[in-house]
Amino acid sequence: MQTVTVAIADTDPGRRAKLEQSLQGGQGIKLLKNIILDESDAPAEHQLESHAGMTSVEEVVARISQLNPRILFINFDQSTEGDFALLGALQRECPETLVVLLTDKSAQDEQILQALANGARGCLNHEADPLYFLKAVRVVDQGEIWVTRKMLGKILDKVLH
Amino acid sequence: MILLASPSQDDLFRWEQGVRGLAPVFCSTNLDSVRSELVRIKPQVLLLDHDLPKLDGPNGISGLMKLNPETKVIILSHAISDEIEWGLFRTGIRGCCRGDIEPGQLKGVVEAVQQGELWIRRTLSWHLLNELVMITQEKNKIKQAVSDLLANLTRREYEIATLVGDGESNKQIARRLDITERTVKAHLTEVFRKLDVADRLKLALIVKGSMPSRDTTRIGH
Repeated sequence: MQTVTVAIADTDPGRRAKLEQSLQGGQGIKLLKNIILDESDAPAEHQLESHAGMTSVEEVVARISQLNPRILFINFDQSTEGDFALLGALQRECPETLVVLLTDKSAQDEQILQALANGARGCLNHEADPLYFLKAVRVVDQGEIWVTRKMLGKILDKVLH
Repeated sequence: MILLASPSQDDLFRWEQGVRGLAPVFCSTNLDSVRSELVRIKPQVLLLDHDLPKLDGPNGISGLMKLNPETKVIILSHAISDEIEWGLFRTGIRGCCRGDIEPGQLKGVVEAVQQGELWIRRTLSWHLLNELVMITQEKNKIKQAVSDLLANLTRREYEIATLVGDGESNKQIARRLDITERTVKAHLTEVFRKLDVADRLKLALIVKGSMPSRDTTRIGH
């Protein structure tokens, strides 16, 4: 089984720890720990996730480009200022990195749909069973997508109409 | 109501076993009957045998779907290639599965489709997402091109173009901006020239198309 490199961009330590724990149990998955280091010793995931604030999309993309994870989990927060520039830039600059969104109950289907349209390859709930995180990594790594059948229905509607 | 369509009585019997508890079930064994039943009973779901004589592949399925667009079509087939199956989904079918599916499983498929889900193999789902991404990129390119064109307008011209986009007449625009109708016309002539459009309807479409979506989705921490 080929090793899949995974990075997580989520500022919530609890959620991140849970996801890390889930992924560490997966055979053939390499979690990129150094994602939390940067030149100023500030947590790098802070940089990764606050692109709309103090860090530019270019810097975030450069960081991801350097780490070159196969799968990048990004927390999907609808209330944060910003746009889809990061997803678009990642698609252009790091085409080998596949983005999976981490959502919560408040995530609106239409917004997830827009994120998928802008390059995300899947989404799943933070609170999902750990097994699903491992499955999502495998499935997305193989070029498939990880979304609910309901979301697939919405994608088809969008494509056809 | 659920309509089952297959020339095979055995298949119809098995499918009916699976879905009978979900809704009243009707059966058709030929294309003419399917057409008339789609119009007559307007089923919520149509389980359609891909090998129904004279169906004529995706074209025929599209034709059937036009008879009652509300009907969710699920194709049952023998093993077909990814390309053929994806072609079926592009007609708007909501599911595809093997014709020899177990009745219990078929029930699950129909229930899922009734709830708005898409019954598609995961290995095909990337086609779907790629198409969505491509369409979005095309739209973004067009938006960018339009935005570049609109950037050539003066502030006043842009203001007037936007009001045309809102459906206002020259008279209304003149009143709103406290200028003469003649001035509005002069500005519009220049707008038409810069954007290379012939009439206000096309201008309105361009302006509307360039407006950012009201949905502002954010990705961040």
